[in-house]
Amino acid sequence: MQLPQAQAAVLEAASAREAQSIDELAAATELPPETVTGAAFGLEEAGLVTVSERVEEAVTPTDEGIEYAERGLPELRLYEAASDVGAGDEPVPMGQVIGAADLEGAAVDIALSNYARKGYGTIDGGEITADPAVEPDADPEARTLDSLAEGGAVSGLDGESLEALERRGLVDRSETTVRELTLTEAGVTALMEGVEVAETVGRLTPALLTSGEWRDVEFAEYNVGADAERIEGGRVHILRQTAERVKDVLVGMGFREMEGPHVDADFWINDCLFMPQDHPARTHWDRFALADPTHIEELPADLVEAVERAHREGVGEDGEGYHSPWDEEFARALALRGHTTSLSARYLSGHEIGGLEPPQRFFSVEKVYRNDTLDPTHLLEFFQIEGWVMAEGLSVRDLMGTFEEFYAQFGITDLEFKPHYNPYTEPSFELFGTHPTTGELVEIGNSGIFRPEMLEPLGVDCDVMAWGLALERLLMLMYGFEDIRDIHGTLCDLDLLRNTEVTY
Amino acid sequence: MPTVDVDPDELRALTGTEKGDDELIADLFALGLEFEGRTEEDAFELEFAPDRLDRLSVEGIARSLRYQYGDARGVHVPGTNAPEWTIEVEPSVPGERPYVTGAVIRGIDLDEDGLESLIQLQEKLHATMGRGRAKGAIGIHDLTMLKGAAAGDGEPTIRYVGVGPDDDRFVPLDSDAELTPGEVLEEHPTGRSYADLVGEYDRYPAIYDDLGLFSFPPVINGRRTEVSTDSRELFVEMTGTDQWTVDKMLAIVCYALAARGATIEEVRVEYADGPAYESVGTELVRPELSTKTKTVAHDRIETILGIELGPEEVIDLAERSGLDAERVPIDDGVGDDGVGDGSRSSTEDGVGDGTALVYEVTIPPYRVDVLHPVDVIDDLGRAFGFNELEPEYPDVGTVGGRHGRSRLEDAARTTLVGLGFEDLLNFHMISEAENFDRMALEPDDDAFGAAEPATIKEPYSEEYTALRTWTLPSLLMVLENNTHRAYPQDLAEIGFVANVDDAENTGVAERRSVGAVLARHDAAYEDAKSRLAALARAFGATLETPPTDHPTFIDGRTAAVVIDGEEVGVVGELHPRVLVEHDLEVPVAAFEFDLAAFE
Repeated sequence: MQLPQAQAAVLEAASAREAQSIDELAAATELPPETVTGAAFGLEEAGLVTVSERVEEAVTPTDEGIEYAERGLPELRLYEAASDVGAGDEPVPMGQVIGAADLEGAAVDIALSNYARKGYGTIDGGEITADPAVEPDADPEARTLDSLAEGGAVSGLDGESLEALERRGLVDRSETTVRELTLTEAGVTALMEGVEVAETVGRLTPALLTSGEWRDVEFAEYNVGADAERIEGGRVHILRQTAERVKDVLVGMGFREMEGPHVDADFWINDCLFMPQDHPARTHWDRFALADPTHIEELPADLVEAVERAHREGVGEDGEGYHSPWDEEFARALALRGHTTSLSARYLSGHEIGGLEPPQRFFSVEKVYRNDTLDPTHLLEFFQIEGWVMAEGLSVRDLMGTFEEFYAQFGITDLEFKPHYNPYTEPSFELFGTHPTTGELVEIGNSGIFRPEMLEPLGVDCDVMAWGLALERLLMLMYGFEDIRDIHGTLCDLDLLRNTEVTY
Repeated sequence: MPTVDVDPDELRALTGTEKGDDELIADLFALGLEFEGRTEEDAFELEFAPDRLDRLSVEGIARSLRYQYGDARGVHVPGTNAPEWTIEVEPSVPGERPYVTGAVIRGIDLDEDGLESLIQLQEKLHATMGRGRAKGAIGIHDLTMLKGAAAGDGEPTIRYVGVGPDDDRFVPLDSDAELTPGEVLEEHPTGRSYADLVGEYDRYPAIYDDLGLFSFPPVINGRRTEVSTDSRELFVEMTGTDQWTVDKMLAIVCYALAARGATIEEVRVEYADGPAYESVGTELVRPELSTKTKTVAHDRIETILGIELGPEEVIDLAERSGLDAERVPIDDGVGDDGVGDGSRSSTEDGVGDGTALVYEVTIPPYRVDVLHPVDVIDDLGRAFGFNELEPEYPDVGTVGGRHGRSRLEDAARTTLVGLGFEDLLNFHMISEAENFDRMALEPDDDAFGAAEPATIKEPYSEEYTALRTWTLPSLLMVLENNTHRAYPQDLAEIGFVANVDDAENTGVAERRSVGAVLARHDAAYEDAKSRLAALARAFGATLETPPTDHPTFIDGRTAAVVIDGEEVGVVGELHPRVLVEHDLEVPVAAFEFDLAAFE
């Protein structure tokens, strides 16, 4: 019979009369225990050995236990020191005894509490006595600990002492499975008929392949169930993946991507959106104004004039403007954009990629900046999904239909439209959708049809409907994350990024 | 968004309904007022979008509910009595705050709830339309405590004037001491809160009656004229930087008080001559409760709502919104005498060929949000019920596509991930300490990443004071925050960086930068270079790495990244002082370069 080397060695070392453990066989064959285990299962499968299992209790001293085995239990050292200074006859001051026992720190408390527990003497008013009747050498806990430290067997040890030692954290008790091998009749027969070692190889090498030797070798078996080394491959950031998915959906719906400055003039961020200059959202506390540089070099003069006129007088025959100040210098101030609607304004104005004729669809999934308080759901910078459709005669039903299609791609259905107010859209809606897992109604976006006061100065004479949504909100809905700070930004947790389940 | 507290029992009483709380909450949601919770006194806390400022009080909300329930229809304007009182505005009034308006309220019976509601309305109007009292401030006084000047024709008069900071004294609310306006700004808690509003003025706004100074707008009223539940007659004055704004605030307050059964009495406002008054006139009678109209085209209503409506339906929807609508046929030049009377062959709307059906819609004075006919259409949609509309995918064909920059970014990111990098996404805002100091870099070094950063004005947080000029500082921060996580940590980011650049229109150059770090026990220059080379190869670019110096990196182990002959970045082993600064105990090899090099 031909057997792999390890199996042959284990078979020869095994006995039909006496069960032998893996450790014993490992010692006998000079093979690593895991190899012996592998070989044992192979032999069992071939019917040459039986493998039996039993559970054995192991008790090992902890580091502290080993220290006490060497130096003596603290209470015993205390007792000996106390006896040495005559505490057997009359109380002596504690300080003197502790010094003599060479105890310090936590060991003092340990010594005192066990001293009292074991009745070695009394401790009272800073003085200590030692009961002369005590036989320190007979202390069962010390004897049990010593025996364990010397590697003695567990069986036969005093159970009460073991429990006490475990409570004191001086020993760890654990159970291990011991496997033992016995030769079967077939095994004995095989041995008697002679076992040859088949040549095995660990690794398939180029040499084996080119020489053709691979035909004559046996491949050593691996423990294929064992854990392999853990590796962390690279992956695209999950928020970025979510952004890519949104872009895919929007491109599929016929939207073209916009691109433009993060630092922009208030003119593009707010004034073009018919946001009055004294609107509360334009105060310092909500936005990130720039200290350096402070103002945009140049704005298109005709557009500035048209926007100012819309703010002051409104548009249309009986339109009205705002009763708010309007100042070009204020409009030229630079800030980090608070929404990507600044890109929409730039594109709609024709100043970005030239004049646009309807129909058009545009989108962006880009960063915006808001001076908010950082918390699990708010960041100072986040991604905004921005989309708009330009066409003749758009209705709010078209807007609703577009959102239903978009959100359905992310499993969000049953949209509700809450009439809302935005300075630059009318009608306006907040969008609510049902959370795919929790079933709650959550706000998922803001939308509307751009106002004539925004579109007319930009030179657009058809309808434009638009909406915005925080990408992070979609991410949290899709993945169920609770704290966005773990994901986005320098406080991110690499483990979370590495281990988040793939969503597609 | 603003909130307003409303006692549901009071709301029921003013609305004339017996609906339960839950039903009320649902009806309020339909108005756009979201129930946020209850106050300690069990009132509803309602959040609302800041357009319908007429709903800042329980009276205004009740009015909207009555329209919603059909208990009220069309425009209602409260009647007013002829003026007795005059507000005389003297030339000494501070030029920054020239405008005033006012009304006398008689026969008001305010209980605790009513007084509370009035105070809340005042505060909420201050916060919204009044822009924190800067644009408009409200003073409400007990009329019986005022003594009008009996000079001349004997009509009672109060005077709006400007006074020097310490020219006069009065006892302000919540105080026992006589203070000058200047002292109020320094010593009185309310005075300190609003000191910024008038701090720059040469003269402070002040209102006098025969007895003397009784109000210091926009800061605080005097104690003498304080309103209580015993007050039966009120003098309401509002001062501000814009006549329209204070008039609208006054209209909203008058409507609220009229809803409580009060009689509104007009007040004369007499301005002195001056450029500020050219557009408003020098003799005004207030409150201004006249309506205005908007001309709304029927086809525009149908287009925006996406449904067909008959004219009667439109008029009904308008009246249910508290507006009045009347058909106005306008000859568009094609037809001759068609007036939409159905006598000619007609469309479904019953409108004759050649004429466009148009409505003249009357808007009540408390509506500050109606600027354009589109706002009327929104009202009609709300009255119809937007959620009743059937969504419809627009029949509009367009071709979608990605921006070239985003495709490039994506391709480079995919390549980096293939090389084993964990893709990261960090903040664009950073502190200058992180961007420079902790990287051992100075803004004016001649080294990659060194540049004048675009900085945030009066930053809120020390951690975010500028836009990052390069990505490696962010990646180092991630390494610093993840030292307890398994190594190797090979991280990359393709991200936004910026710096001040006068050549740009915005004054800021914005770029995408490719940063990568390899943190592992045996990280070395070669690890970074080999991956950088693989990336360059993937994009068909020629990479050269001539030696260079960079304070963030170890001398002799640092190279410039030269792609297709242009120096665009840096590659090397990070200097131990940078590693130690970030609490790192493993070497880090890194590179960063401008993504534009691959364009």
